[in-house]
Amino acid sequence: MNILAWKNLLHDRVRLVVTLTGIVFALVLIAVQFGMFLGFLDTSANIVEHNTADLWISAPGIPHVNGGSPIAESKRWKAMQVPGVANAVSFTLFFLNWKLPNGAFESCQIAGFDLDSGMGAPWDIVAGNIEDLRGEDTVFVDDLYKKKLGVTKIGDTLELNSKRARVVGFTHGIRSFTTAPYVFTSFKNAQTYMRLRESETVFILVRTKPGADLQQVKAGLLAAVPGVEVFTRQEMLSRTQNYWVFGTGAGTTTLMGAILGLLVGIVVVAQTIYAATIDHLKEFGTLKAMGATNGQIYQVIILQSILAAVMGYALGISIALFVVNSTTNTDLLIKLPWQVAIGIFGLTLFMCMSASLLSIRKATTIDPAMVFRG
Amino acid sequence: MQNLVTVTNLVKTYGTAPNEVHALCGASLEIRAGEVLVLMGPSGSGKTTLISILGGILTATSGSVQIAGREIVGLPEKELPKIRKDLFGFIFQGFNLFPALTAQENVAIMCKLKGVKNPNAAAKELLESVGLGSKLRSYPSDLSGGQKQRVAIARALAGDPQIILADEPTAALDSVSGRNVLEIMSGLARNRNRAVVIVTHDPRVLEYCDRIIHIEDGRVGHEEVRNNLEAVA
Repeated sequence: MNILAWKNLLHDRVRLVVTLTGIVFALVLIAVQFGMFLGFLDTSANIVEHNTADLWISAPGIPHVNGGSPIAESKRWKAMQVPGVANAVSFTLFFLNWKLPNGAFESCQIAGFDLDSGMGAPWDIVAGNIEDLRGEDTVFVDDLYKKKLGVTKIGDTLELNSKRARVVGFTHGIRSFTTAPYVFTSFKNAQTYMRLRESETVFILVRTKPGADLQQVKAGLLAAVPGVEVFTRQEMLSRTQNYWVFGTGAGTTTLMGAILGLLVGIVVVAQTIYAATIDHLKEFGTLKAMGATNGQIYQVIILQSILAAVMGYALGISIALFVVNSTTNTDLLIKLPWQVAIGIFGLTLFMCMSASLLSIRKATTIDPAMVFRG
Repeated sequence: MQNLVTVTNLVKTYGTAPNEVHALCGASLEIRAGEVLVLMGPSGSGKTTLISILGGILTATSGSVQIAGREIVGLPEKELPKIRKDLFGFIFQGFNLFPALTAQENVAIMCKLKGVKNPNAAAKELLESVGLGSKLRSYPSDLSGGQKQRVAIARALAGDPQIILADEPTAALDSVSGRNVLEIMSGLARNRNRAVVIVTHDPRVLEYCDRIIHIEDGRVGHEEVRNNLEAVA
């Protein structure tokens, strides 16, 4: 019976193309929309995710990591005295204006970090030496934003908040969820660019001692450092992701797109698989008349849908991977981890098999006497 | 000649009162091994209903159909596929071949369904027996009407069933192909002692049959004995 499933699928090339197009369309739509959603989650809080700090101290009531406001740097010394704290350093993240060579302005976010601890340092460095950031007026930018920032090479000098900024290195793939790219520099340089007083910072990043209880340290910090809010890394990550991805509606829209893709996919696949089964209704009637059981008919229909799912998945995931790869060097991140790729395979099987189940009823309730009616 | 099928007082009613239609009204007949039996009658007389009930495809309202001593009227629905598979071979007016399968695959799939060992080899042998040894890899779309019906005959022979039920097997065929198919079918009865039941309007069939039963208004009408059935018996 398996040969009937296989050959029914392959015999009518036009029908096969229509069926596979339906599956591929649905699959690419789901993969790309969901990949964009994952990309949004990633880019919205990458600055937190890649930060090695265990706890973040900020001004109270900040909506997300990009919305901090200055606090006294002296709080860092109080934090250092809390039991379980191994280190506490200053960190800034703030929106500033970047002046392009043609005189126009672009918005950017300056990330000023402590070079000694490395907390808040850039990652995926592709050119330059991080130690060069100890020099005055030095910055790292991401090579995806070279054009946007008017930068071509190491050594280019531009203006950041009306002060000189010399590019000494590049990262690759540190995307920003907003339209303002990250510019990394030392905390000291950041204070200058932001025109902060020497006694001010935006965040205090805390690294705990090995084995310390994070919640206990957090409680100790809240008790010892007045007028601040303290977040664990996960809390800051969630707050930032929730704000950008769901609060702005961008993520909800993308997630809705993925869900719609799934629904459209189910409908398209159901329609094509259903039509493919109905096309063979007379053959199933003949099989039944000749003694095939309903179970044997199910087997043919389900196998047909599994084969269509496997073929559609192979094509669809290839196209989705192509789309993902084609965005590697753009500021749009579409993520397609292998776990998601496997999940989509399961989803494709589910879509095709559910669609075939709809038509199974039609096929197994055929009156076998139809074969005598011509 | 041995009675293979005994039909007694068979009734089939479609619908419910007052709109019920009586397709069969107490039909009784016997089918014997080794004979070609033709069921003739005008359209709507109940021929197709009768052959469908005989083949376990349709359930009767009342009456009895005993096949090789086994009563099939009243059997649960789920037992009927096995009856159809084990006892019958079917030949249809429209051939009903699977267009995606080659001639050999069309026959092999039925051999497999019927549990024949080495279905591909059995299919090849059956196709050779109907003169289609050179068309094993041909698809139905590449075959003439006569060749398609011969593939259908080979398929009906899969598993060596005791009874072949054929519905208008020559209706779609030209005279040469029609005769060819009828020769094969009558050969099955003569040489393999199978019962061949043909529902037809085609007068060409008459010269190949042993008995003709006329069905009129759901009843068995008069019966004609042809050829040398009595001598065979």
